[in-house]
Amino acid sequence: MKNTLALYFQREWQLMFRNTSSMIQPLVFFIIIALLFPFSLPAEGALLQKIGGGVIWVSAVLATMLSLESMFHSDYQDGTLEQMLIHPRSLPLAMLGKALAHWTSTGLVLTLFSPILCITFNIPNEQIWVLFSGLLLGTPSLSLIGAIGAALTVTLRRGGVLIAIVILPLYIPILIFGAGMLSQSSQGLEVASQLYALAAILMLSLTLTPFAIAGALRVTIN
Amino acid sequence: MNPLTIIWNFLSNTYHRLGSPREFYTISLYTTPVFGFLFLVLSLFGTYFGLFVAPADYQQGDSFRILFVHVPVAWMSLFVYVVMATAGAIGLIWRMKMAFVVTICSAPIGAAFTALALLTGSIWGKPIWGTYWVWDARLTSELILLFLYFGIMAVYYAFEERKTAEKATALLSVVGVVIVPIIHYSVEWWSSLHQGPTVFAEGGPKMPPEMLLPLAFMAIGFMFFYGYALFLSMQARVLDNERKSRWVKEIVSGKTN
Repeated sequence: MKNTLALYFQREWQLMFRNTSSMIQPLVFFIIIALLFPFSLPAEGALLQKIGGGVIWVSAVLATMLSLESMFHSDYQDGTLEQMLIHPRSLPLAMLGKALAHWTSTGLVLTLFSPILCITFNIPNEQIWVLFSGLLLGTPSLSLIGAIGAALTVTLRRGGVLIAIVILPLYIPILIFGAGMLSQSSQGLEVASQLYALAAILMLSLTLTPFAIAGALRVTIN
Repeated sequence: MNPLTIIWNFLSNTYHRLGSPREFYTISLYTTPVFGFLFLVLSLFGTYFGLFVAPADYQQGDSFRILFVHVPVAWMSLFVYVVMATAGAIGLIWRMKMAFVVTICSAPIGAAFTALALLTGSIWGKPIWGTYWVWDARLTSELILLFLYFGIMAVYYAFEERKTAEKATALLSVVGVVIVPIIHYSVEWWSSLHQGPTVFAEGGPKMPPEMLLPLAFMAIGFMFFYGYALFLSMQARVLDNERKSRWVKEIVSGKTN
């Protein structure tokens, strides 16, 4: 018998590859949000270069948040989620697998695509690496923390807005460290402390959020 | 009997009695006016000492006097959160009905304290910093706290079934506890326009006793205000939650008391 984490991870991957739109939609949304900014701001290269990193971070946060609603939705609708809850396998491990699979389909894809957006914003090469590593460390936490909000609101008919209200305040520390890294490196300062902070948040999220997600599901699904 | 045992027995007895909505309601009828009275006395003293007895600040003049509202209110915004989350954890772990009521009734009070802290802070900021608002660590994290309170209230009202709503609210308030240390240490971690800890600073408070005393009065007074507002709103919620039970019907129809 395979271990729970791998099993759930694999299951999510199979579902994703049978319905690739769930992977493409967040990426398209991410790009569209980021490209709204150059349209709405004065077309000055220096300004866009300065705010580009922050814009990409905000777009990543919004794209992740938009994809959260569907995280448990279809499993809840067809009854799979209830089967997971009564199954003797460890629910927190299962949820960790689910959240990590969610990250590979949203956060990881966005991170891999972010250098191309950086080029459109004329962000210098060494800062592209700073942004890339920040997103790589920060986006898994976004999926893990977001899953708590998704689990809390899965039974509600219009949970989307509520997820945003509940989860965005918890995302702000990640956003502060992630976007702060860029403004520091643009002044030629070290960014190690922010990277450590993002890594610490990731470690806490990996170890604690699975229990919160499982708890939230047990609360909301009777 | 060992005096410690007596105290312990008294505390655990009170705790278990407060766990029952009916007992809580009866006890709170007596404690709530006491809290309200203590709040009134302490805050009147604090206001008088703060406005007329405490000396003007050597740098900020008289404008510093808003501190006697701003600082206690800001402390309370975090204190209420900690109480709320602790009650939420107690409710989730020991399935205690009244703990959920504490969590749910604390949220609007905490949000009000947070909003007041932000408001008084920006009124204070205008003459001293020259601006109502800066995007600085302490201010931003206090604003996050306000939205966290809003989120917790929104979750409670989103669910139709009360038991689910209570548990979901408690869970979210426990998850949000991570924000509290971030706010508390933000002035020490990041270089910030907001001043560092002055009262609970290393090597004792950096403040003369004439200023410290009214601040203490106000802080304890606001603590009692929280107790007063919390118990009033808990009374209303208990009556609403237990509206189908006989004792509530008797109270509402005026057969007893």
